[in-house]
Amino acid sequence: MLHEITFNVNGEPYTVAVKSQHTLLDVLREKLGITSPKRGCENGECGACTVLLDGKPVNSCMVLAVEAAGHEIETVEGLARDGELHPLQKAFIEHNAVQCGFCTPGVLMSAKGLLDENPHPNVDEIKHALAGNLCRCTGYVRIVDAVLDVAGNGQ
Amino acid sequence: MRPFDYYQPESFDEAFKLLTMPDKVVMPLAGSTDLIPMVRDERWSPDIVVDIKELPGLRDIKPVAGGPGCGVCEGECLYVGAAVRMSEIARSPLVNRHWGVLAQAAGAVGHEQVRNRATLGGNMGTASPAGDTLSALLVLEAEVLIQGAGGERCIPVTKFFLGPRKTALRPGEIIVAVLLPPLPEGSAGSYERLSRRRGADLALVGVSALAVPYAGGYQWRLALCAVAPTPIRVPEAEAVLSAGHDAVSLEQAAQLALAASHPIDDVRATAAYRREMVVRLTRRALQHVVEQLEH
Ligand SMILES: Cc1cc2nc3c(=O)[nH]c(=O)nc-3n(C[C@H](O)[C@H](O)[C@H](O)COP(=O)(O)OP(=O)(O)OC[C@H]3O[C@@H](n4cnc5c(N)ncnc54)[C@H](O)[C@@H]3O)c2cc1C
Ligand code: FES
Ligand code: FES
Repeated sequence: MLHEITFNVNGEPYTVAVKSQHTLLDVLREKLGITSPKRGCENGECGACTVLLDGKPVNSCMVLAVEAAGHEIETVEGLARDGELHPLQKAFIEHNAVQCGFCTPGVLMSAKGLLDENPHPNVDEIKHALAGNLCRCTGYVRIVDAVLDVAGNGQ
Repeated sequence: MRPFDYYQPESFDEAFKLLTMPDKVVMPLAGSTDLIPMVRDERWSPDIVVDIKELPGLRDIKPVAGGPGCGVCEGECLYVGAAVRMSEIARSPLVNRHWGVLAQAAGAVGHEQVRNRATLGGNMGTASPAGDTLSALLVLEAEVLIQGAGGERCIPVTKFFLGPRKTALRPGEIIVAVLLPPLPEGSAGSYERLSRRRGADLALVGVSALAVPYAGGYQWRLALCAVAPTPIRVPEAEAVLSAGHDAVSLEQAAQLALAASHPIDDVRATAAYRREMVVRLTRRALQHVVEQLEH
């Protein structure tokens, strides 16, 4: 079954035709060319596909595209403003919190979701918020340090 | 993913027409955190999914006087809509006021991305023996408000879970809300669970404990998940605790919880390990409640 849906991605309205069984991840990547959300496990386990849906982190592999109709989606493509990287992006670079980078877009969106709600989280709150994002490279320490830095709680 | 047709009805009438379509496999959809993985794994094959989460009242958390139609609650019940998300339940000041054990259980589900989508009704609809909210609903003696084309009914949660993935819902019916009966000031509860990976795995064992002030002492309630085909209450342990919650009674209750458990071996853990964990988690949950009572 085909649905014509309109939704906002990073503040821009998009109207697309989607099938009932298409996920938001499918449509962002294949139809809109927004490829920062990654296809990892497609099972809710890895968090590589994390986007913000109305400001809240969700796994886009487990949201039907048609459910996004009328809602606001944010991805890493929308983080930089006027050529200036988002503070989280800068902190990830400074702290070497990126290695292969596959998990990074999802981690950034989980971290943004946290900071938008709680601008000064402590280590435990950061770990709790990032528990749904697997990283096979960094060992997490640098990721947590980078987020702490933006939260103004870094050492 | 295998194709299906998606509908988002705006009224109950429209929803029940869809849910009772003849010769079709029709499934309600809320947060889709169980449904999408199941369809992708080809374990479920719906022809039609009916998105119920925007139906009137399904996302409300509100105090209600007496249960609509159920007549169980004499004071003020808390109505928690079936499509309320786990993250909302975990943070809700209303739920945390007296029914905090449910907030704790909701906060233990999956990780933040899952909790931002997963709903209470979906956890109940899936009826996994390991569902985190189920034992909390048992100790809170929740009533389940159900609606179908034939009308509305309300049943105690003890009659709702019939087996793994089996509930008392009849074809075409949906859960509208749960009603949490009032608890007196001074009640205390705790949910304890263990999983392999914190943040993205079902509970190996889950324990809900609740102490309710009663006749100068406390009436205790204890429920377990992931140790039997359905979540279970442990009345033998409750009786011991209600007679007095000293160290000896706590230990006796933990052993009675073990005696009531019949866990299985599966990919997550052996039955033997689960049995050991029933004792430890029960001790811990009871201890947490006692600490709150002593404050
Ligand atoms: C990575 C991951 C981690 C998870 N971790 C946990 C965990 O720790 N603990 C846990 O308990 N669960 C966990 N789950 C399972 C799942 O998230 C929960 O069971 C969740 O509560 C399901 O809710 P939903 O709204 O997403 O359900 P959906 O997927 O929308 O629906 C689930 C089932 O319930 C039915 N249903 C939904 N709403 C209703 C209703 N109102 N009336 C009748 N039937 C209904 C649907 O038809 C379907 O059969 C996890 C899932 C994933 C993917
Ligand atoms: S791809 Fe969505 S959680 Fe792994
Ligand atoms: S940087 Fe490689 S998975 Fe995280």
